[in-house]
Amino acid sequence: MKMFSVAHKTVFVVDHCPYMAESSRQQVECDVLTKSRAQGVIPLAPVSKSLWTCAVECSMEYCRILFDVYPKDKLVNYIVSDSEFHILNTWRREDQSTHELMSALAAVGPPNPREDPECCSILHGLVAAVEALCKITELQHEKRTALMDTAERVANRGRIICLTNAKSDTHVRMLEDCIQETISEQNKLAAGSDRLMAIQQCDLVLVHIYPQGEETLVSDRPKKEISPLLTSEVHSVRAGRHLASKLNILVQQHFDLASTTITNIPMKPTLNVCEQEEQHANTSANYDVELLHHRDAHIEFFKSGDLHMAGTSTRENGVKETMTLKWCTPRTNSIELHYCTGAYRISPTDVNSRPSSCLTNFLLNGRSVLLEQPRKSGSKVISHMLSSHGGEIFLHVLNSNRSTLEDPPSISEGCGGRVTDYRITDFGEFMRDNRLTPVAEASHDPSGKLPVERAKAQLERYTRYWPMIISQTTIFNMQAVVPLANLIVKEALTEEDLLTCQKTIYNLVDMERKNDPLPISTVGSRGKGPKRDEQYRIMWNELETLVKTHAGATDRHQRVLECIIACRSKPPEEEERKKRGRKREEREDRTEKNGSKEAEDKSWQESERLKGLLEKEDQESEVIKDSPDSPEPLNKKPRLISEDVQPPERAKGPATLLSMWTNRITVANSRKHQEFFGRASSVNSKFELYQHLKEENGMDAHENGKATR
Amino acid sequence: MPTVVLMDVSLSMTRPVSLDGIEEFQRKNLAVHGLNMLFEHMASNYRLEFTALMAFSSLWELLVPFTRDYNALQEALSNLEDYDKTCLELALQGVSSVVQQEWGNGCPCQVVLVTDGSLGIGKGSLRHSLQTLKHRGDDKKFPLPYPFPTKMFILCVANAEELQMTDAMENLEELLRLSGGDGQIFTVDGPLCMKSVQAMFGMLIDRAYSPFHAVLHCGNLSSDVQVFPRPEPVVVDEEVEPIPRAVSTDLEIVGFIEIADISSPPVISRHLVLPIAVNKEVDEVGTGTTDELEEEPSASQMAGKSPNFCVLLHGSLKVEGMVALVQLGPEWFGMLYSQADSKKKSNLMMSLFEPGSDPLPWLGKISHLGPVSEAAENPYGEDDSKSPFPLQPQVKRSYAQNVTVWIKASGLQTDVQKILRNARKLPDKTQTFYKELNRLRKAALAFGFWELLKGVAELLERECTMLPDSAHPDAAFQLSHAAHQLKLASSGDSQYAAFDHNIVPMHTDFSS
Repeated sequence: MKMFSVAHKTVFVVDHCPYMAESSRQQVECDVLTKSRAQGVIPLAPVSKSLWTCAVECSMEYCRILFDVYPKDKLVNYIVSDSEFHILNTWRREDQSTHELMSALAAVGPPNPREDPECCSILHGLVAAVEALCKITELQHEKRTALMDTAERVANRGRIICLTNAKSDTHVRMLEDCIQETISEQNKLAAGSDRLMAIQQCDLVLVHIYPQGEETLVSDRPKKEISPLLTSEVHSVRAGRHLASKLNILVQQHFDLASTTITNIPMKPTLNVCEQEEQHANTSANYDVELLHHRDAHIEFFKSGDLHMAGTSTRENGVKETMTLKWCTPRTNSIELHYCTGAYRISPTDVNSRPSSCLTNFLLNGRSVLLEQPRKSGSKVISHMLSSHGGEIFLHVLNSNRSTLEDPPSISEGCGGRVTDYRITDFGEFMRDNRLTPVAEASHDPSGKLPVERAKAQLERYTRYWPMIISQTTIFNMQAVVPLANLIVKEALTEEDLLTCQKTIYNLVDMERKNDPLPISTVGSRGKGPKRDEQYRIMWNELETLVKTHAGATDRHQRVLECIIACRSKPPEEEERKKRGRKREEREDRTEKNGSKEAEDKSWQESERLKGLLEKEDQESEVIKDSPDSPEPLNKKPRLISEDVQPPERAKGPATLLSMWTNRITVANSRKHQEFFGRASSVNSKFELYQHLKEENGMDAHENGKATR
Repeated sequence: MPTVVLMDVSLSMTRPVSLDGIEEFQRKNLAVHGLNMLFEHMASNYRLEFTALMAFSSLWELLVPFTRDYNALQEALSNLEDYDKTCLELALQGVSSVVQQEWGNGCPCQVVLVTDGSLGIGKGSLRHSLQTLKHRGDDKKFPLPYPFPTKMFILCVANAEELQMTDAMENLEELLRLSGGDGQIFTVDGPLCMKSVQAMFGMLIDRAYSPFHAVLHCGNLSSDVQVFPRPEPVVVDEEVEPIPRAVSTDLEIVGFIEIADISSPPVISRHLVLPIAVNKEVDEVGTGTTDELEEEPSASQMAGKSPNFCVLLHGSLKVEGMVALVQLGPEWFGMLYSQADSKKKSNLMMSLFEPGSDPLPWLGKISHLGPVSEAAENPYGEDDSKSPFPLQPQVKRSYAQNVTVWIKASGLQTDVQKILRNARKLPDKTQTFYKELNRLRKAALAFGFWELLKGVAELLERECTMLPDSAHPDAAFQLSHAAHQLKLASSGDSQYAAFDHNIVPMHTDFSS
């Protein structure tokens, strides 16, 4: 259906002249006495609706279905006509509800039978209807504004549904002529106005209503063209249920609706479809409920020509068809993503019948039902699903054909498929942080950006530095960095945020001072990874990279970067100083072969060489085995036994159960015997034997507590 | 979008073509050459397409059912035999049944008709079929348009001048129009030879079988991808927006949503999103030399080892049970999600929503979805126990708001009985009694059904007289009060008949 087809605007013109106050002569027994109370009570005489009441309630039913299925932009303008016209609402979206119309109708009240019939005519209303069709709707206005130079693409078509009691076929012709005339007049007027649009097509649907038991004075006539702008059709219908079913058919025709009957709805208490309120609670009956919806929900059947098979049935009047779908257990769950080719709003035909309200309440409570299509072969094909989304029920069309996308190459076979250490969990966290939420249209951002643009901007900020695999990053594997990493991506930082970032940095400095191990990945690098110093250098570099990408955002972001630069520059210097200090001692002990000039050079060379050496070593191992060139480790001093057994640096790493157990046993055992002299005074668990021989030879037995060769 | 290749094997296809007097070819040979080229291209660049090969003359035959095995298709081409005259209508009928049997009637299909433009004579010829189009019974309808969306490509091993000498071109154009108009007629440019036929098939490849390459962005993270099948341009409203909208080659993720929140949305098409290595992007038309074939595995192995955003995204979407909302163009969106097939092979998929600003009513306008961080309070709750979706419509639907419909007598009777039932349980049910009474009153006033108000007033008065001795004294007061109010309303007096006015319980000494 085109956006601006005749269905965009519907004008109801309902006759409010004195003869509409006449009884429809269809009687309703509203005093249904139960057997126990029947004795001695005279039942109330049945009531009967007037032609007016019939017309109003059927038109309201038409609107109810229309608004259920098309809550937006299929508009109704309701006009009542007697000695003058009364326009009950406007094209505006907020006026489009049955409640608004009912309220306005109550104010109009039933026709006054004592009014002078000569002054009253449906013509007042029809003229007003043509005028109403020329009025521009919100959607027409929006589209015309949006299209600018192609604004002429916005068409103005509409339909007039006239519920009246006509006198004769000549009377009908007179009404048609009058409408035709009014259209040409109004179109001229509209040509010179901004708020009016000329009518390009108008469909008149004239429904002649007459009381039961009377002969009709007006004959039915199918749609015919009165002029290029106007078509007209006449339906002559008896008031009461005939009128109701006529308008039900019309609403389906006018808005491309189709009918589906859900069968086999279990109203067993166990399924909770209905509360156990039935008189015979033990018997479980299966109920049928008829729903109306856009006919595209049946597109598969229409195309395959299957509409006449077992699933469909033609009603007694031979006009309306309904497609049968079977309620299907088991139910589906909400976290399943069905391949759904369409979802159409529904409206129950018999909205307040018990089975209907049971079904709709069941769905409104958030449950979904799969529906099965009856097939000749008896095979089970699930073709539809009923599901509610936020108080609206939709009929989903599920794809039941073979997929052309079957058997695709798995994602693990394609680009990047062999990589195994993606930061899946971290990206999951990232997705949670970047979930979307509806933002009220009113809340306007000072930047003038739409919420969705702001969402994209946030994604941009969050991904400025985002390594995809675990082995590419250090900082994102560190719990200690989390507070900063979470804050730095923000558009603006508060003073408190800044403080947290700074604290995070100080904490890292602290970690470095304590020489805490870092989760540096050893994947890819040969050997056992870089040394602790180098690890921290890598970490600081990475952190700096992350913060740099945000430093330009605000002053506070910049200050985080400054903090990093300030903090990281210190520790390497300290290290350097320490190293040099150590070197100096060493040199003093050795013979003064080297000039002081070479010292720095050498220390650099040494540190480089050291790095190379270290790469081959366990990153946890801090003790450098005696290589002649290596600087002396600080802690290589004779120690007490217990310390030696449990080196402090190892305690920093996570202690294993074995090491804890061994320690315990060793400590316990050590209490039970006196330690060997050699072990007690050993250095690095080594003790030189036959020391007295050297002493006798007058040589230095020790150098810096280390045994020499 | 599956393809059916419909190859004309009538005798006229065996007409010889002289190529500068050097060698003699039949038109069939040229057509087979062109199709081979198409199949080779598909094998290297459009591998996932299902293709079937049908041959037709006065009868038709399915030579190769839908397959991705392009060797089998080429093999069948090399074994074509020659038959009698051309009868297109039957063959088109055959296409319809072959397609529907395999894919149902909702799956868009491409039909590649290869012919020489001599479309038969007499009964069964295309001319005859088209002439008799309007004089047919329901059982003998012309097969076009097909029930499934169709793209019809007609490749004539003949040049345009040749076709225009007869009415062949006109008939083919009519055929294309009947198929729905989405397609094209290709003719050979210049004299018939290998080269010109190649050029014609090259045009078809460009038009329908060139892979759709795009870049998937998520902020600064991105990946080169192929979207398969090619997303087709969509016409939103033929009148307001007649120019079809095409999917942008930059697919921008705007944010993420839980699967339960997006809840099986309707989509217009589904596509695989396959990450591709950037350097491979250059060879659009596979030249297929042996050198390259040898190099390819190593190149793809390399690509397999370098991290790709698609794989990361897919993994996290799968683990978290979420979808990524992706912008396809101005006011056009889709979703990315992980899809597992029956063999538990999983893939990144993209579904396209209907173009427009609010394709899913339960999400609202997509342009008005913003980052969670902007909300004062996390709409998902601190422990993910809540969700801002689905959005509630401003006005409740009729089935969600206890509307009054009296079209069937039973509806009216139920409402009256409900009032009477509660009337008998006064004063316990005072609230419900007045609620039901006011509902009936409102509807009766709107429908101008004053007679009913009087009737119900009488019923209440009768109930009042029938109250048992044991009844609470308040019951009688409330009943006569209610009856009186209904009578006043039925008078139409604006003071009592106002729609928004409600009858309130009478204040008595008993009700406290």
